[in-house]
Amino acid sequence: MSLQTLHHLYAALAPWSALSLLLLGRGPYLSRVRIVGSLFLALFVLRIPIAGWTCFQWVMSLEPNPSFTLTALLAVALLQRVGRVQLFSPEDWKAAWFFGALASLILYPMGLGLTSMDPYVLGWRFVLPVAVAVVAIVLILRGNRFGLILLLPFIGFLLGLQESQNFWDAVIDPFYGGGAILIALGICWQGIRRRKSLKSL
Amino acid sequence: MMAVMVLLAGAVVWKECGERGGHGFIRAEVFGGFEEPKITPPRKGEAPVFQEEIINKNQNLPFVHVCSIVELAGGDLGALWYGGPYEYCHENRIYFSTLKDGAWTAPLVIMTPEKVERDLGRPIRCLGNPLLIQSSDGSLRLLFVTIAMGRWSGAQINTCLSKDRGRNWSRVERLTLSPLCNFSELVRNRPIPLTPPSARGGEGWCVPLYQELIGKFPELLWLKQVDGRLIAEKSRMAGGCATLQPSLIPINKESAVALLRDWTQAKRVFMSRTKDGGQTWSRPVPTNLPNPDAGISGLLLSDGRLILAFNDSIILREKLSLALSDDLGASWKNLFLLEHDADAVSSYPFMKRTSDGLIRMVYTHEGDDIKMLTINESWIAAQPEGKLEPSVR
Repeated sequence: MSLQTLHHLYAALAPWSALSLLLLGRGPYLSRVRIVGSLFLALFVLRIPIAGWTCFQWVMSLEPNPSFTLTALLAVALLQRVGRVQLFSPEDWKAAWFFGALASLILYPMGLGLTSMDPYVLGWRFVLPVAVAVVAIVLILRGNRFGLILLLPFIGFLLGLQESQNFWDAVIDPFYGGGAILIALGICWQGIRRRKSLKSL
Repeated sequence: MMAVMVLLAGAVVWKECGERGGHGFIRAEVFGGFEEPKITPPRKGEAPVFQEEIINKNQNLPFVHVCSIVELAGGDLGALWYGGPYEYCHENRIYFSTLKDGAWTAPLVIMTPEKVERDLGRPIRCLGNPLLIQSSDGSLRLLFVTIAMGRWSGAQINTCLSKDRGRNWSRVERLTLSPLCNFSELVRNRPIPLTPPSARGGEGWCVPLYQELIGKFPELLWLKQVDGRLIAEKSRMAGGCATLQPSLIPINKESAVALLRDWTQAKRVFMSRTKDGGQTWSRPVPTNLPNPDAGISGLLLSDGRLILAFNDSIILREKLSLALSDDLGASWKNLFLLEHDADAVSSYPFMKRTSDGLIRMVYTHEGDDIKMLTINESWIAAQPEGKLEPSVR
């Protein structure tokens, strides 16, 4: 298997998982036919050709390096939905969203030119892997399963599953970052409202 | 689990340190700064040289742009540019021509969108901004941009290698240099060779780079090639939304001047300096030269002065001039007006000194010609310097 095929196969996992989750919907009951059908339909949709290229290839021209964190979180969500098991507690999800929000707030504004300092460069140095490892160890020590997810950027990076050789791309991508910021803001907003309503009681 | 985490982190750190020296290979201990410019002063009584020629005489393409030149192994000169029906057209190709026995060969197509799409396994909108680097082993490395979607702000950098002087090219590889979907990284202007720390350290180059997605700012692409394998990383010269397309002029191993295209209302050529081999740069400051948001290119002369090709206007690219600076870019005097045609655009100069001591400059002329100017230092010395003043007060 060529390195390029490996990159493509890995890059297909995130859109396939996301599409499968969309097709499964939010209904309480999932038949086996619905599950298998949704997983295959997602695969079929990604292979639909548009102007000579498959939907997946168009997606890849937009984002060739989905992060290992996003791919793993989508896989966890899919497994939870399909297997009806709770792999992640609300606290684990919360850690995932706050980590994603913080990482993207550090990376994107400065990485896109806000300052003379470019944090993206740290992805080619030892600083970022050490920082992510410290966060992962702290989360694992606190029993948070998102810490385990943070092992995957290291494994994927060492295996060379991504086109990128920058460790930032293993940890975060704009879709995970953008989604994490929105959800983290939602969690904060809910917290503020809850605190306000408690005060008014 | 903790042990696994520590082991994995250690392996990643070891991988980063092994390839890039831990701090990134732009650090002086890994690469020894810019290669010293080899400039021989003009001989006494040397005749002035001033020649103009069209490189792509019979090409008949409606649109050609962003030409660059490279001195090939053996001393031949190579020129490359992209062209086709119009700027963002999918049919555009990269062309390469060599100067043999005083005449330019018919342009050879060296890169097509079809090859890029086949090699990368995904669609592109179009290609552009080609640049060639000659390695000491005789191979040629091509750097060029492709647009994934949108306009130039959606561009990404690609590279491939030729071991037969540009006839056949290796598989195209994409360089990932930007955090947001790898969007908006573009090469333009002359690459500067780096001093290798040892014979086993491989070859290195510093390539001017810029981003224009949300901000517009100059960057540097640091390339290290060991046995045909390429390691790339970038560093930032300045942030914000003001300057782009740096033209690097190394003075010695540690010092260099960068002249920058302007995207502010100042409408001036900007200047920045480094004293640590390009790791840090001073804040870009405007010079007295006008700039209508257009590309520039400069060189160091044997007497320590700088020469710059620029569009001498704040609005259009109808005038292309040469200017001289005797204080390392702080102030400039006009030297020569090369082009002035209200109905035609002359832009995107690319200047290079070849090993015969001549200064060659290529630029887009009237949108469908690639023109080359050849001058020497005797010609520069013979010009009435400062007679013409820059157009802007």
